[in-house]
Amino acid sequence: MADNKLVGRDYTTPDLIAKVTGKSKYAEDFRAEGMLFTKLLLSPIPHGRVKSVDSRAAEAMPGVKAILRASELPETADTVTDLGETIKANPKAERALTDEPVYAGEAILAVAAVDEETAAAAIEAIHVEFETLPFVVDPIKSLRPDGPNPRVEGNTWGRPPAQPGQPPGPLEIQQVKWTAEDFAEYDQGKMPMGKPQIEWSYGDVEAGFKNAALVLDETFSVANNQHHVLEPRTALAYWQNGKLYMHSGTQSAVQTVASIARWMRLDPKDVVLITEYTGGGFGSRATGSVQCMIPALLSKKTGVPVMMRITREEENYIGGIRPAVHGRVKAGFAKDGRLLAVDMYAIGENSAYEAQGDAASGGRFVSLLYQPEAMRSRAITVLTNTPPRRAQSQPGGLQAIMIFEPVIAKAARQLKIDQVAIRRLNAPEGKAKWGPADAKGQRGYATSAFIKEALDRGKDLFGWDERKARSGQRVGSKVRGVGVSVSTFVAGSTGFDGLFVIKPDGKMYIQSGVGNLGTESVFDVHRVAAEMMGMPWEKVQIAWGDTSQNLPWTCVSGGSQTTHAMTRAAHAAATDAIGKAQEIAAKKMGGSPTAYKLTGERISGPGGSMSLADVAKQAIAMGGRFDGHELPGNINKVTAISATALAGQGLMGVARDTYPRDGTSFSFVAGFAEVEVDVETGKYHLIDYAAVGDSGTIIHPKAYLGQLLGRGVLGMSHSLSLKTVYDQHYGLSLTQRFYQSRPPTILDVPRNMKGEAVNIPDPETPVGARGIGEPPVAAGACAILNAISDALGDDVYRRAPVTLDAILMALEHGKPMLDPLTANI
Amino acid sequence: MSHDAQETQATPSGVSRRNFIKGVVAGGVAVSSAAYLFRAGPLLSGQAARTGGVERLITLTVNGNQRRVDVAPQETLATTLRYKLGLTGTKIGCDRAECGACTVLVDDVPRYSCSVLTHSVRAKKIQTIEGLQAADGTLHPVQRGVVEEQGFQCAFCMSGFIMATVGYLKKNPNPTREQLAHGISGNLCRCQDYDKILTALHRGAELSRGVANG
Amino acid sequence: MAILHDVIPPFQLFQPSSLDDALQLLDERRGEAWVLAGGMDSFDWLKDRTKRTSVVVDLSQVAELHGIRDANGGFEIGATTTLTEVADHEGLRAKFAGLTDAAGLVASPQIRNQGTLGGNISQDTRCWYYRRGWHCYRAGGNICYADTPTAINREHAILGADRCVAVSPSDTAPALIALDAQMVIKRRGGERVVEAADYFVGPGTDITRMNVLQPGEVLAAIRIPATWAGARFYFEKVRDREVWDFPLVNVASAIKMNGSTIAGARLAVGAVAARPLRLEAVERAITGKPLNEETAKMAGELAIEGAFPLQHNGYKVPLMRNLVRRAVRGGPPAGATT
Repeated sequence: MADNKLVGRDYTTPDLIAKVTGKSKYAEDFRAEGMLFTKLLLSPIPHGRVKSVDSRAAEAMPGVKAILRASELPETADTVTDLGETIKANPKAERALTDEPVYAGEAILAVAAVDEETAAAAIEAIHVEFETLPFVVDPIKSLRPDGPNPRVEGNTWGRPPAQPGQPPGPLEIQQVKWTAEDFAEYDQGKMPMGKPQIEWSYGDVEAGFKNAALVLDETFSVANNQHHVLEPRTALAYWQNGKLYMHSGTQSAVQTVASIARWMRLDPKDVVLITEYTGGGFGSRATGSVQCMIPALLSKKTGVPVMMRITREEENYIGGIRPAVHGRVKAGFAKDGRLLAVDMYAIGENSAYEAQGDAASGGRFVSLLYQPEAMRSRAITVLTNTPPRRAQSQPGGLQAIMIFEPVIAKAARQLKIDQVAIRRLNAPEGKAKWGPADAKGQRGYATSAFIKEALDRGKDLFGWDERKARSGQRVGSKVRGVGVSVSTFVAGSTGFDGLFVIKPDGKMYIQSGVGNLGTESVFDVHRVAAEMMGMPWEKVQIAWGDTSQNLPWTCVSGGSQTTHAMTRAAHAAATDAIGKAQEIAAKKMGGSPTAYKLTGERISGPGGSMSLADVAKQAIAMGGRFDGHELPGNINKVTAISATALAGQGLMGVARDTYPRDGTSFSFVAGFAEVEVDVETGKYHLIDYAAVGDSGTIIHPKAYLGQLLGRGVLGMSHSLSLKTVYDQHYGLSLTQRFYQSRPPTILDVPRNMKGEAVNIPDPETPVGARGIGEPPVAAGACAILNAISDALGDDVYRRAPVTLDAILMALEHGKPMLDPLTANI
Repeated sequence: MSHDAQETQATPSGVSRRNFIKGVVAGGVAVSSAAYLFRAGPLLSGQAARTGGVERLITLTVNGNQRRVDVAPQETLATTLRYKLGLTGTKIGCDRAECGACTVLVDDVPRYSCSVLTHSVRAKKIQTIEGLQAADGTLHPVQRGVVEEQGFQCAFCMSGFIMATVGYLKKNPNPTREQLAHGISGNLCRCQDYDKILTALHRGAELSRGVANG
Repeated sequence: MAILHDVIPPFQLFQPSSLDDALQLLDERRGEAWVLAGGMDSFDWLKDRTKRTSVVVDLSQVAELHGIRDANGGFEIGATTTLTEVADHEGLRAKFAGLTDAAGLVASPQIRNQGTLGGNISQDTRCWYYRRGWHCYRAGGNICYADTPTAINREHAILGADRCVAVSPSDTAPALIALDAQMVIKRRGGERVVEAADYFVGPGTDITRMNVLQPGEVLAAIRIPATWAGARFYFEKVRDREVWDFPLVNVASAIKMNGSTIAGARLAVGAVAARPLRLEAVERAITGKPLNEETAKMAGELAIEGAFPLQHNGYKVPLMRNLVRRAVRGGPPAGATT
């Protein structure tokens, strides 16, 4: 695409000047006349029931306007999917307020008052009496024969056994306990493996182990990690003419409307979401946060706007946590390093609310990334009395790869194979298979995979061979080590809509339903349509961040979907508009439509040439599908409503992405790290990091690098320092401050990281682009883990983050000393 | 009801509810932009009647302007800037002096405004992100560096990082990349875009010295 | 435990402009007045609503508490001098680099720009149970939540615990102890001067306080005598994050040499006990010895005698041992050893 003017080139995004001047407005920057302020009363206990609430003193305070209780929340509506399927609302799902708290810090009630001081004083004047219930903050403890349950009904989600000829019943909470024998090796640090919830396999796993030259059996735990978005999920709400207006940060603009409508039991057309800027999401607010109901309901109750400023502490509770996963892997390798068999078991920790699929899905990424000849994957997800788990960049993939990468690294050391070479040997390529077989016995496959190319490029970029030569050398108390890691995640969905109008002023007006998280995909994906229309960027205007502005049906901005899904939608819309322009030109000037080509903002062909401005005028004159008065039948109803509102203004490009795709889209990253460990303190420094991504065609290079290295640093945080800690006896959080949970600072990561893309188009999508938000995470996390063991040897750590106490104690005692299995310590 | 800083700015109190809603629907933004009438609640007004202690009505020097403002004794500078003076470019990320999103300059020194008592900076010169742009709209060189290099993703941390950089450059106008990283190390970015941020702010340092092409 | 940790409850604020006025106020409002300097410790308590006060006396406007003055070959540092001012002071750095190094490693640039030397020394402990408002011994209760079989106490004490296992979080305190600094404490109509090592209070002496300051008293200045000027200093802080983190262990030393023999030494360690510990036994043991690896090793072993780790802080024992070795040695071991 060397002749591209827009795609693949850097540019100044339309929101950047507002950001650098402080004019960009996030939810809490809005002020509404007469607005009230909210404070929340949080549960002081990890599990219990509200027996009574005495709020008389609070209600009598001057300035206190309303109190909202859980009983006043509407019942969440069922979800109806695009395909028309109804998914019943889970009656035990997380809600905005509760009378049966299942974690300490869960919101019980809310007060609205004239200012925050008054609301705070009112909260303190409310007396709540609780009945306390058993609780647990360690999933494996809950699985013991006599282990406590986090819910009265049990400790896992499951479905009742299906009756013959009937679909399986709805999700319910069930109790799972393992036997004492399952825990026989617990005290040796080996993860117990009782009856799983999920199991799949392919190939002959036992034969693989039998033929293996080396079989390893390793236990490793990945910690719970909070998202810690910098902008807490504050929300401002008010009502006007029966419509709810909501200012709140969210990852997805259009699809968050559906969530709010479901929680509030409103028609989506009665919800307007203003979300021009969002201060981070990382998966935790894919379609908003259920807590935004609180100001909406209080506003309804009081008749004036209500602001709910979420504090950092509240954000720590409701903002989300990546689930901890405890893993045990048995892996068999041939002498040359080929992975013959894998038997992997994952225990995932979850809150007592909806289960994240991290533990259950992880094995699939391992099966793709290392292409084992045979594999069995087992998993169970166990509930605890800790805050809600939410998807976090590379959910499931990160934990599984963190559990598996140290095993590959250990095998390479024992088999005396270069670390890059063993990964290259086992790497997927082309339409590589992944996961278990379906009902027809067929395994799924990737659209493409160029991880080998990424490894080759990264090896040079990082200077692997030179650095390897000095690894393990000790100078004084300092030892260096190098590590490499591969990583993958799904990277795109399909089937969404594009929508724009070229008006008689000659400008292109694009409707973007993508959320603005700063990854710039909210604008980037539309460069594809502008490029195809030959439109100079200065003449493109993008509507975004306000769902009253006629936006099309758009994917959720999560799971690296957007770049793939919405470049396809943009491509489809532009293809539609080009076709219409050709028809208009042929009709006006004669000849065959296909003989007309777009160049220099004109459409030219055998009969002459006309400007796009004139095409727009002509489209209005011709009406029908040309200016949006008639719409394609296959577009989403959200798009149809928006397009109808925009009809008659010019040449409309509107279409659904129906491009074929053979396979599932995955992106890949290879990461390289060098560390220096001080063996007298256990402290290590990350000296350098380089990453190479394979995610197809690059749309916006600087934004791409921001994700490739930025998400890489998120991964590093999981190895370096970030964790949650709970007092095991009282079930209360001890990591309420950044200096306690420890997200990394700029001085904890290298000052000169390098990043590149292989930039090979994906063959299964018209623009060639896939997402890059997820796979950099595990690459960053595991390159560090592997570099530490390269410097110090295999038996140093058994859990992440790998902090200096783990290293120092292992060096002191010659074996890993930190308990690998207790969660939240 | 107490009074606050209405002398030097347009007050939104005259804006009718009808106009306000219209503004939201039409513009897709702001409810009120520059400032709003901060209503001190019963607790605050009651307290104002107490004897002794500091005078509530004070004059602050913010971005070169004198602003009269009613400040509670326990009020932090971030609160005053954001909610009384309408300077919402200063963000509150943690309210515990940890994340740096609230960083402003007090007499040219970067401070966490969430943890400064407004009354303690009465006699000092306060600068916020809104005060960097020249009157003619020209961006500050550090802002230009960010635009050139596309530093930052979600940008909730951005004004704090920019103010920390502007403050650090007054102390060390010609920093190495390493030195600048130390200078801005009191600011957290949760998008973890540190590499690109450092590149952008270092470019800003170059532009501040008048270096045209890096 | 506070049910809500947000919004500072109202208080009356006084901003005296002279030390006499401040001391008079503190005397008159004894028992209710909260002394505020940089506020980096105070705001946490007040915002969390875990500790409250009706009266705050802000020392930020008292000029005589601020600044670094030459004094008899040493220095007198006003208690509200910021950590940045201490870290950047050329004269201090030339003579007492151990202190300027320590000040420069506190928290973050913005904290150092506002946090004061007096505040860094006098700050309360960071035990995460106590800070969170659990009603423990230190908070007036009758239990230590950090010292139960299931408690998480990775950052707690290995020495000197008495019911409470909290540690001193200060970086500058060990550095000042290693300089034989003196604390100048003022009250209305009076003054007392306390040796740095005696300024700090362990739980055995008073479980609710970290230092000897009494209500009505203010730490006014820190005197650094000329005694250790130009000695060989070492300061190291080991922490999980490179910014905004408290020490897991820190160490400070000042050593004077006579040829290759140690002529005199001061050693202090922080974050291992409720007080920053001066290691007098180690100082005595290494004085007169050659400065070599053997002496360093002996110092390290001696330092950790009596150490008693909890469930999760066993690593602090070898860490303290190794840091004391370095403090004697003057740094990590040099040269290639593999």
